[in-house]
Amino acid sequence: MKYLSIVILLFVMLSCNNDKNVVVVYTTVDQVFSEPILKDFEKETGITVKSVFDAEETKSTGVLNRLIAEKDNPLCDLFWSGDPVRTIVLKNKGITEAYTSVVAKDISTVFKDAEAHWTGFSARARVLIYNKELLSQYPLPKSIFDLTADTLKGKVAIANPLFGTTTFHMAALFSLLGDEKAKQFLGDLKNNNVVIASSNGDVKKRVIQGEVFCGLTDTDDAFEAIKEGANVGIVFLDQDGIGTLVMPNTVNLIQNSKHQENAKKLMDYLLSKNTEAKLAKSCAQMPLHKGVDTPTDVPSLDHIIPMDIDYQKTAQKLEEIQLYLKDWVED
Amino acid sequence: MKTNFLYKVTFVLFSVFVLLPILYTLFSVFLEESFLDNLRLINSSTFLLLFRSIAISSLIAFLSTGLGVLLAFLLYKTKLSFRKGFRLLLLIPLFVSPYILAVAWKDVLYLFFENHTFIASYKGLVLILTSIFTPLSILIIGSALSNINSQIEESALLIVSPRTVMFRIILPLIKPALISSFVLVFIFSISEFTVPSYLGVKVFTTEIFTQFSAFYNHALAVIQSALLILISIFLLFSEGKYLSEAAFLSIGTKGNQQKFHELGRFKIVALIFLLAYLFSSVLMPYFMLVFQGMNDLGKAFDLLKPTIFNSVFLALGSSVLIVLVGFIVAYFSVKASKLKKIFDWILLIVFAIPSIILGISFIKFYNQSALSFIYTSYAIIVIAYIGKFTFIASKLISNAIRQVPKSLNEQAILIGISPLKRIRKILIPIIAPSLFVAFVISFIFSFSELSLTMMLYPPGTEIMPIKVFTIMANAPQSLVSAMSLIVFSITLLLIVIFHLVYQKIKNTNV
Amino acid sequence: MSKIQFRNISHSYAAESVLKALDLDIEAGKLTCLLGGSGSGKTTILRLIAGLEIAQEGSISIADKTVLENEKNLVASPDRGIAFVFQDLALWPHFTVFQNLAFGLREQKQNNFEVEIKDILSRFSIEDLSEKYPHQLSGGQQQLVAIARALVLKPKILLMDEPLANLDVKLKRKMLDYIKKIKNDFNLSLIYVTHDHKEAFGIADNIVILNEGKVEAQGSVEEIKQSENTFVKYFLEY
Repeated sequence: MKYLSIVILLFVMLSCNNDKNVVVVYTTVDQVFSEPILKDFEKETGITVKSVFDAEETKSTGVLNRLIAEKDNPLCDLFWSGDPVRTIVLKNKGITEAYTSVVAKDISTVFKDAEAHWTGFSARARVLIYNKELLSQYPLPKSIFDLTADTLKGKVAIANPLFGTTTFHMAALFSLLGDEKAKQFLGDLKNNNVVIASSNGDVKKRVIQGEVFCGLTDTDDAFEAIKEGANVGIVFLDQDGIGTLVMPNTVNLIQNSKHQENAKKLMDYLLSKNTEAKLAKSCAQMPLHKGVDTPTDVPSLDHIIPMDIDYQKTAQKLEEIQLYLKDWVED
Repeated sequence: MKTNFLYKVTFVLFSVFVLLPILYTLFSVFLEESFLDNLRLINSSTFLLLFRSIAISSLIAFLSTGLGVLLAFLLYKTKLSFRKGFRLLLLIPLFVSPYILAVAWKDVLYLFFENHTFIASYKGLVLILTSIFTPLSILIIGSALSNINSQIEESALLIVSPRTVMFRIILPLIKPALISSFVLVFIFSISEFTVPSYLGVKVFTTEIFTQFSAFYNHALAVIQSALLILISIFLLFSEGKYLSEAAFLSIGTKGNQQKFHELGRFKIVALIFLLAYLFSSVLMPYFMLVFQGMNDLGKAFDLLKPTIFNSVFLALGSSVLIVLVGFIVAYFSVKASKLKKIFDWILLIVFAIPSIILGISFIKFYNQSALSFIYTSYAIIVIAYIGKFTFIASKLISNAIRQVPKSLNEQAILIGISPLKRIRKILIPIIAPSLFVAFVISFIFSFSELSLTMMLYPPGTEIMPIKVFTIMANAPQSLVSAMSLIVFSITLLLIVIFHLVYQKIKNTNV
Repeated sequence: MSKIQFRNISHSYAAESVLKALDLDIEAGKLTCLLGGSGSGKTTILRLIAGLEIAQEGSISIADKTVLENEKNLVASPDRGIAFVFQDLALWPHFTVFQNLAFGLREQKQNNFEVEIKDILSRFSIEDLSEKYPHQLSGGQQQLVAIARALVLKPKILLMDEPLANLDVKLKRKMLDYIKKIKNDFNLSLIYVTHDHKEAFGIADNIVILNEGKVEAQGSVEEIKQSENTFVKYFLEY
């Protein structure tokens, strides 16, 4: 009897749960960047933020699958994504809820969902990170198509295009170039022995280590490498051509969530200039609001030629090309 | 009988809390409209991939078990110097997530050879997973070797050579342990996906995982997992059949003395072999982690500090419950009628299910208002760990129970000792070493578990492996290595504490 | 002292018949040896008396009280007044000698059991082994401890299953003397299983010879020696 009571007590202790003034947020943005912002919100509003963070896509089915599985009884109030793709997947599955934040009034409509199911802020871009020492003897690639050059055979890395922002990048290329040209390009990359890394972080690491000369990654990974003191450079590709893919963070409400009012408050907070300023400082993310204080080394969207794409249509394209991408990776 | 009632209650609770969510998910997939479409996607290439994965996992299991026999013999059946130290050191790969070791290995090879095409291949996968799972084989086989009655060996040594004794007496006697080792390592390696994913090697679980993460096709992933489950059922069936034909040995009731073998002129060779293995499987990757992580230890510790208490408490609580459930299952399955062996099957199936399927099943089942007190608390993780790891604990404990002579229990029956008292005062003290091993293994697995925890951890809670992996997404290598070192150190420290506590309890009077 | 009666007992293990319609009477207060080859059913008889097995057919009574009938144990093992010395002695390896003996006495809530234990250990001249563990004892010492443990509970019937099988000749002879004395000193019925007829002849009051689950012959030592039964003659020759 004594032992049974201990077991029950153990179980009860493990089941303890506190539900006060809270908001539950799931985010795919790296914990090291997102957590400080959420903690600031907590301090300023007194609302407890309960977060679920994501690990790298290739190690975890993570946050998005959890949101899909929880659809009928959502635990999450707000989803903060590092790119629009995942948000659009959720929208298509009927998991998101429309909300127009007054705070985001001056953000371009390009970075907002037409039906107000998501709003973009603090953008990253797809860039080329390169090892300055190793690439010094070769011409610096200026376009994504330069990556198929003979001089770069086996020396270019790209993250697994089935996951993360790389998927979005591929979908954007397909949208812009059309299926035939895009497949041609990917075929040329494969013939040029492109190295498929497990993630953008892995691309960064291989470039720093010198295993490859260069690789495609996101601006925050690239700037992180520079902050670490690595001898790497960054190129915004195709500034004379198709442009660079710009990927805003997105935030959206979850349908039928339990703390809608708090979620709206958090959403407004995330969409504010203040948050954009913090993200610009911590991970070189480019503000979408005008007149935000940014460090000098953070590029401005004013000086970057973006890819001319519709995010909704690109997300659609993504679903169409996935099987092709899977075969491409596995061949 | 009270104990029978206890077993029935445990069976019902396990079925309701663990099995029901899985069945619920399986049936809802089968009833989905897209079921037939998804079924059509299972084609010859799926089966080819499955067979390839089976072959790789079999090779890993075979190599681990083979190495396990060699190393366990040296560490448990000889008086080699520093063998107790070696025993602990060789367990190290178990203390850290496989993914981290894969990263360390890759970096080692790159550092020395500037080339790791070898490692990013099936060969590399076999190498890494073998080195990760061999400690498990050592533990299981070592435990069985320790339990061989010295008289059995000595009587044979009088008439045949030590080599013959090894192959014709010892190995057949420890057959249950060899098979358990093979089965466990096989299931672990066929379910592992973080390492093959990182190495870019395509195996069956990465395919399942891709369906989840890239295609969000839960239904197809569940159907593919069903194939894995069928393999596990086949394995259990063969294992059960084999075990019933194997010779069982007893803890000598006339005194349990163990036979230690002299190595003679092979002593130096054995020592060199042990050192070489220790260096290559343990020291080299850890050298890499230390080399890369030394400067960031302070920062890493600050990041991980808030997670330590939660993670230890969670793993501790789970392990206690896992060993409890494992003991109840093991005790009754040993005496069992066929009906009770069903529980054994259920445990294996749940163990073999990929963590992501288990996670999704739990979310679908527990994410209801009435059950939110479970879903939004640590209880969901504890239930998941019990589901996932009880199989291992029950296997270890049942092997130990089988080795206890019936007469020890019958003697107690005759003097009127109640069943519960017989369990408490006779059985548990005798199998205490195995209970301790089961507890430690359950703790290590619970403490470092990632894929399942990632799916289920309540918002706002901080758990160590999740923190490591979320920070890993965008942290410099040095910080990642430093965090891995801290996780490993904490695990090691806790095991030492457990060992000391166990020694203390063992030495007090019954 | 208790008389034991088997009536029409049949028992099988896993579809293999061990005892076939066995009738047997074991006299109270005597040392009865069950003799026979492997598989003859000797150990099964002991286990049935102890209540560790339930016969599929027949009945068993002890001291005129039915303890087994219609595949049911009517009297639980601890209530039959029985002690058993198993073939492997079954000394609990994690208990000292003292604890091995005390375990049963504590369960029966006996006061002053320390005195009882000291007394029985000194009877066998092994009181200095009290704090030792089984693995620290010699074969002969373990035997004595097993017997002392059985006797400390003051049983009416003592069952012994080939207890001397692993001992050397000298020690065996010494132990056989002990066993003869036990029956008288402790005033009990002793049933002793062996496959060695010389051993049986040395100590038995009565002998039962078993073959394939049936009683081939039963009687005093002299009666058995002079038996005309073919199997008995053959058994005694070898």
